[in-house]
Order: sequence, then structure tokens, then C-alpha cells
Amino acid sequence: MENVEKKMREEAGKLLADKKVDVVIGYERGTLPLTATPCFITSPEEAEKLVYDATCVQNLAKFAHDIISTHREAQKKVKPEDKRKKVVGIVARGCTSRSLVIHLQERQYDRDDIVVIGVPCNGYIDAKKLSAAAGGEEILEGSISGDKVAVKVASGEKNVSLGDVLADNCLTCRFNNPVISDVMVGDPAPAKPADKEFDKVDAFEKLSIEERWAYFVKEMSKCIRCYACRNACPSCYCKTCFVEQTMPAFVGLSADQTDTQIFQLLRTYHMVGRCVDCGSCVSVCPMGVDLRNFLKKLDKDAFELFEHRAGSSLEDVPPLSTYRENDKEDFIYHP
Amino acid sequence: MAEAMTTDGWEPKIIAIVCNWCTYAGADLAGISRIQYPPNVRILRVPCTGRINPFYILKALQEGADGVLVSGCHPGECHYITGNYSARRKFAMLKRYLTYIGMEPDRTMFTWCSASEGDRFAQIIKGVTAKVRDLGPARKFVKTL
Repeated sequence: MENVEKKMREEAGKLLADKKVDVVIGYERGTLPLTATPCFITSPEEAEKLVYDATCVQNLAKFAHDIISTHREAQKKVKPEDKRKKVVGIVARGCTSRSLVIHLQERQYDRDDIVVIGVPCNGYIDAKKLSAAAGGEEILEGSISGDKVAVKVASGEKNVSLGDVLADNCLTCRFNNPVISDVMVGDPAPAKPADKEFDKVDAFEKLSIEERWAYFVKEMSKCIRCYACRNACPSCYCKTCFVEQTMPAFVGLSADQTDTQIFQLLRTYHMVGRCVDCGSCVSVCPMGVDLRNFLKKLDKDAFELFEHRAGSSLEDVPPLSTYRENDKEDFIYHP
Repeated sequence: MAEAMTTDGWEPKIIAIVCNWCTYAGADLAGISRIQYPPNVRILRVPCTGRINPFYILKALQEGADGVLVSGCHPGECHYITGNYSARRKFAMLKRYLTYIGMEPDRTMFTWCSASEGDRFAQIIKGVTAKVRDLGPARKFVKTL
């Protein structure tokens, strides 16, 4: 990983020095131990602050979309002769690159608007799991060496295995190497046991209907509708989200549980063929709602019904924007 | 209508979101042909099933419908060529998803019915009403506030 980090800085610095990109989106050290935060660098000297390790959580594709769409909006007010393009360099691991592919499939920007610095990924640390491993105490210091994570808490030092604190989505990740990249840094990461990907969904499907409903209600009752999941999600880029739309107001804003349930149900439903399982929504959720259980079902169904894997290739068409004449119709009612 | 009322007073309320070109005309034909079908259905006409936002279905359930029926042209017969093909994909995902989270599968029904199938329309309504009646009043997603 050290090597990857060094090369990534070099490549980012080179792209900025050669003026091939205007900004590079990457990660820098966070203010708390064992955290990294997204950062935007615009000069080659700043490349030194880029980091890349298991503490890099957020999917950066969100910011690429934000920067490009804001820039394009601003360019509308510029005289034609002064119009200029903004190229965004982005440090992308597997899930980030898939999100970029989704943006490209959905014609959000052009391929030459982004320069992808591909990095291999071995998974990131789930803050909630790490906190549990540290006994719920505040982590004062922490470091990662190899597959060991050492954390210092008030009551002493603890060593945890990196594999035990990786996020759920990373454990069975099928795409831990970028699907598109202009510059690839480091060697491809070893494959993960992806065949276990849908184990949890399969188990959930076997529960009785009332058990499933009870779980759904329980999870959704935690939701405080802060919309952090939506804001973190790279596929949620609508200018006006359906939850904020009025005239007609789509989702009610009352304290009624069904409003929250329907908000979550619809937000997740909007992820059909668009969720890359990057875990950004889960990681930002302050209430620990198990969103992944539901999103993964859509992923599984889209694969079963339409053989579609979100963002796996630039040639793919979003599954709900296309059709086949022989699509399965077993759900159609015949009297 | 009187004979359809049961003694306990509850009658299933079903929203049928139907396509203007096929099922709506099919319903019309059922009416013209004087085919009897349960009066529990409220018909909502849309230009095409492809125009239906899955949110409509949830909203209907939230606002007190006991069942939602979506019906459009048979595949290949869409007035807008491909509207019902897109709708089919949307609803395949939606129905599986709703079942997954614990909704009764029979609350949301999808079917095809062409303009010449007045009899089929009556059969669909009879079938759907019977299924929803068996399930009883909707409890999930019903807004109470």
C-alpha cells in the first residue's frame, strides 16, 4: 500500500504539473485517528498530502459529478469565447470507478472530462466495527501495518486484525480493481470471495413474510431522515430530489413511520442497476440503518432478471432504460 | 352494489392504474357489454403503463388502498411501441422488492388486458378483488397521521 500511495502522489502531481487536469480528487488524512477525508488538490505541491489506505471510505465519484455539473452550470453565464473545460482527476478504486461508469452511461459528463487514477483496493475499515473492536472507547491513536490494526484507547492498546474490521461490502467485493482507468497505480488487488456476495440476501429471503416486514419496520424506525445516505450516494445526483419536490409533494414529511419507510423504499428503488455497493450510504448513516440488506436485493434481482451489474462496463445500458422482448413475466397475473 | 356489501362493513378498495389505449378501453367494453364485476375497483387512467411512477403504487397503499392493480397493453401491443416493455422491467423489480421487504405479494398486481378483452377485464377484477378480500384490510404502509 505504501508503494501505491507513493505512485499515486507522483501520478497526481504529474497530471497537475502537465495541466492535464484542473483538480485531483483524492483522500487526505482525517482529523481523527484512522480516518481519511476527501480532498481536492489543484497544485502539484499539494500532491504530498494525498493518502490511500484502508481508512479511505467515501466514494469520490460523487465529487467528480458535483464539480463537473457545478462548473457546467457556471459556464452557462460565460461568453462563448471565454468558455473553458474543467478536467477532473480522480483517485478511483473499484466501486468509485463503477460509479464513474454509471455517470458516463447516464450521460452526466464525457469520458474526457475525467482522468481516472486507478488504485487497487483491499477493502476499507468500517468505523462502527472498529469502534466495537475497541470496546466502544474513543480511539486516541491508531495505525495500520500489514493486516493488523493497532488502536490506542484510554484503557490501553489493542490489536485487531484488519479482516475483522473491514466493511461488509468489502468482504465479498467482486470489483476491487477499477473497471476503467487512465493511469493504473500498483498491481491489481487479489480477488475476494465474491460467490458469497448474496448470502445475506438469500438468508433474508428465507424468513417468513412477517419476520421480513418486522425487520424492515425496525430498521426504518431508526431513520431520522437526515438524507446523509442520499448526499453521500454517487448515484443520487438529481438537482431536485423527489423528497424535496413540492407541487406535488412526493413523500410526506410527517412524523408518520410510513413516510420514512416510503422515502427509504423509493430511494433504494432508484438504485436499481445503479448501486455499486460502495457502502458510502451505510458508512455515513448516523443511526446505523441496515441499508445494504435492501440495496443488495436489488443488485441481486437486477443480475438475476437482466444479467446486469451496475457500472461494470461502459457499453452496458442501465437495465430500466432498456428491455428485451423475452423478459421474465412470471409476476404477471392471469385470472 | 348492494349485494357486494358484506355484513362486517369492510370492502376492499382497489386502485386500478390502467393504460388509456388497452385496459381502459377493455374496461369500457366490459361496461358496454354489461359484464358484471365487483364495484371495489377505482380506475385511474394513465397514457401508458410506462408512465407510471412506482411511487404511485406506494402512494395508493399509503393513502388507504387495500390493493393496487396495474394493467396495460399486452407486450408488443403498446401504443407507444415500447412503454409496456419498460414498465414490465420496472414492475418486475418493484414486485420482487416489495415482497422482499415483507409486503403481501397479492396487494400489488400486474397484468395485461387489451381493448377487446372486456370479459378478461371483468375476470381480472373479480380475481384481484377476491385475492385482496382474502388478505383483509391493508396494514402495511398505511398512513395514520
